[in-house]
Amino acid sequence: MSLLAVRDLSKRFGGVKALAGVTFTVEPGQVLGIIGPNGAGKTTLLNCISGLTRPDAGDIRWDDRSISGMPAYRIARLGIGRTFQIVRPFPSMTVRENTAMGGLFGRPDGRLQPAAALKAADEVIDLVGLGEKRHHAVLRLTVPDRKRLEVARALAMHPRLLLLDEVMAGLNQVEVEQALTMVRRVQEGGVTIVLIEHVMSVIVGVCTHALVLNFGRTLIEGPPAEVLNDPRVIEAYLGERYARRQQPPPAPPSKGDGNAQA
Amino acid sequence: MSQFTQQVILGLLLGGVYVAVALGFSLVWGILNIVNLAHGALVIVGSYITWDLFTRWHIDPFLSLPIDALVLFVIGYALQRGVINRVIRAPLLFTFLLTFGINLIIVSLLLLIFTADFRSVTPSYSGNGLHLGSVTIPYIRFGGLVVAFLLAGALWAILNRTRIGAAILAVGADRDAAQLVGIDLRHMYALTFGIGAAFAGVAGGIISTFQSITPTAGDPYTLQAFAVVILGGLGRVSATVLGGLTFGLIEILGQSAPGLGSGYANAIAFVVLVIVLVVRPRGLLGRLA
Repeated sequence: MSLLAVRDLSKRFGGVKALAGVTFTVEPGQVLGIIGPNGAGKTTLLNCISGLTRPDAGDIRWDDRSISGMPAYRIARLGIGRTFQIVRPFPSMTVRENTAMGGLFGRPDGRLQPAAALKAADEVIDLVGLGEKRHHAVLRLTVPDRKRLEVARALAMHPRLLLLDEVMAGLNQVEVEQALTMVRRVQEGGVTIVLIEHVMSVIVGVCTHALVLNFGRTLIEGPPAEVLNDPRVIEAYLGERYARRQQPPPAPPSKGDGNAQA
Repeated sequence: MSQFTQQVILGLLLGGVYVAVALGFSLVWGILNIVNLAHGALVIVGSYITWDLFTRWHIDPFLSLPIDALVLFVIGYALQRGVINRVIRAPLLFTFLLTFGINLIIVSLLLLIFTADFRSVTPSYSGNGLHLGSVTIPYIRFGGLVVAFLLAGALWAILNRTRIGAAILAVGADRDAAQLVGIDLRHMYALTFGIGAAFAGVAGGIISTFQSITPTAGDPYTLQAFAVVILGGLGRVSATVLGGLTFGLIEILGQSAPGLGSGYANAIAFVVLVIVLVVRPRGLLGRLA
C-alpha cells in the first residue's frame, strides 16, 4: 500500500490551471524529487497535500484514507511535515522554541508537554546541525540556517512524510552538500521525503525517484538518472541551462552566494 | 503641588481603566488583525452584567468580574467562530463593516433588554477614599487600577507561559506556518477573540462602578482603546499598559492646564496621538513589523 497516493489532482486559480490532473504515488522510504519550470504547479501541489490549499478535483490518500480538503493542522498531526520555500520561522522565538512548536502541537499521539517538546526539539536541532545555535534569536540566523530550522520544526512533529519546498534554493555548493547530508540522515531515520528542487545535483544525489511537472501535469516519472536524461525533459524544461551545467564548472563557487537573500 | 499630585493620581487611575479596556482590543488586533469596532459594546455588556447582578442579588461589583469574564468569553468565542471567522482573510474594510454591524446589533439588544435609562452600580463604599494629606484616592478607582494590572499580568502570563499562548503567538506571527505545526487555526482565532471579549467584560465591570451606563456608553471606549494601542504600540502587553496610563495622564493633565477645561480633554489627547503617529508610528513600545 502506498504511503501517499495522489490521483487526478486539479486546482485552478481564476483562469490559470495550476494543477491539471496530477497522479503519482509515494512508497515508504522513497525520496521523490519533483522538478519542473517555474509555474509548473509544484508548490500548489505541496499546498494541496499539506491542506493549505483545497483542491478542486481529484483525491489525496494517506495510508489509504482520503485527506483531500482536511484542515491543515489535522493533516500535520497525521504525520505530514512541510517546509516553505521562503522560510517562515516564528520571529519572536529562539531556534529551540521554534522547533519545539512542532512537537508541542503537531504530534499525532496527542500533545506533548512543553518540557518534553523542548527535549524533543534538542534532538532534531542536533540532527539538522543547529546545535550550537539553539538559543539564538531566529532573526539572526543566516538563510541556510533558517532552512535547517524549517526542517527541524517539521521533524519535531515526528512526521512519516516530509515535504521539502526548495530547501536548497539560495545555498552555495558547500551548503548544498551539507543540506544533502541532512536529507540523507533524515531518510535514514525512517522518514519518507518528497522534495521540490531546482538544483539537479540534489535530484541525482539524494532522490530515489523523480517526477517532472509541467503546466500542472505529470510529464514523466521514474528513476532520477532516466528522467533527467529524457530528451523531452532536457529540451522542453531544463533547456540550455541544464545542458550548460553538464559541463565541468569553470571556477570554484563563491562562498557569499548563499547569503544573497539574507 | 498637591493639586498636581492629585491630578497625576487621577490620571493614572483613569489610565488604568484605559489599560483594562485596551488589552483585549490590542490582543485581537495584534493576533487576528481585526480592529474590533464592537469592542466597546462588549465592554458595556460586561457593565450590564455587573449592574444586573448588583441590583438583583447585591453582588459586589468586584466579585462579579469573573462572571463578566466568563460570559463574555463564551460570547466572544461564538462570535468569532460563527460570524467573524468568515471574513478573517478578507480585506480590512470587511472586518470593519462586520464588527460595526455587530456593534449596532449588541447596542440594539441592550436597548431592548435594559432600555436607555442610565444605570449605576453603587456599593456602600462608592464615595469613600483614602485621604493622604490633601490628596484623595477613591477606593473604587484604585480597585479598578489594581484589576487593570492583574489583567495585564494575566494576559502576559497566558501569552508567554502557556501552550495556548504559544499557539496564539504563532498564529499571530504566521497563520500558515502555525497550521503546519499542528495548530488548529479556527479554534485559536476563536480563543483569542474570546479572551479579548472576556477582558472587555472585566473592563466593563470596572467602568460600571464609577460611571452611569447606557447601551451606547461603549462607543467612546472603542475609540479610546484604538488610541491607546496606537500610542503604546501593537504586539506587547507592556506597550498597552504604558499607552493606557500615558493616555489617561495626558487627558487629566491636559484638561487641568490653565485656560483649558474638560471639554479639551479628548482634543489634547488626540493631538498627542497625531504627534506620536508622525514622530514614532510604531508607538512608544511597539514592535517593528
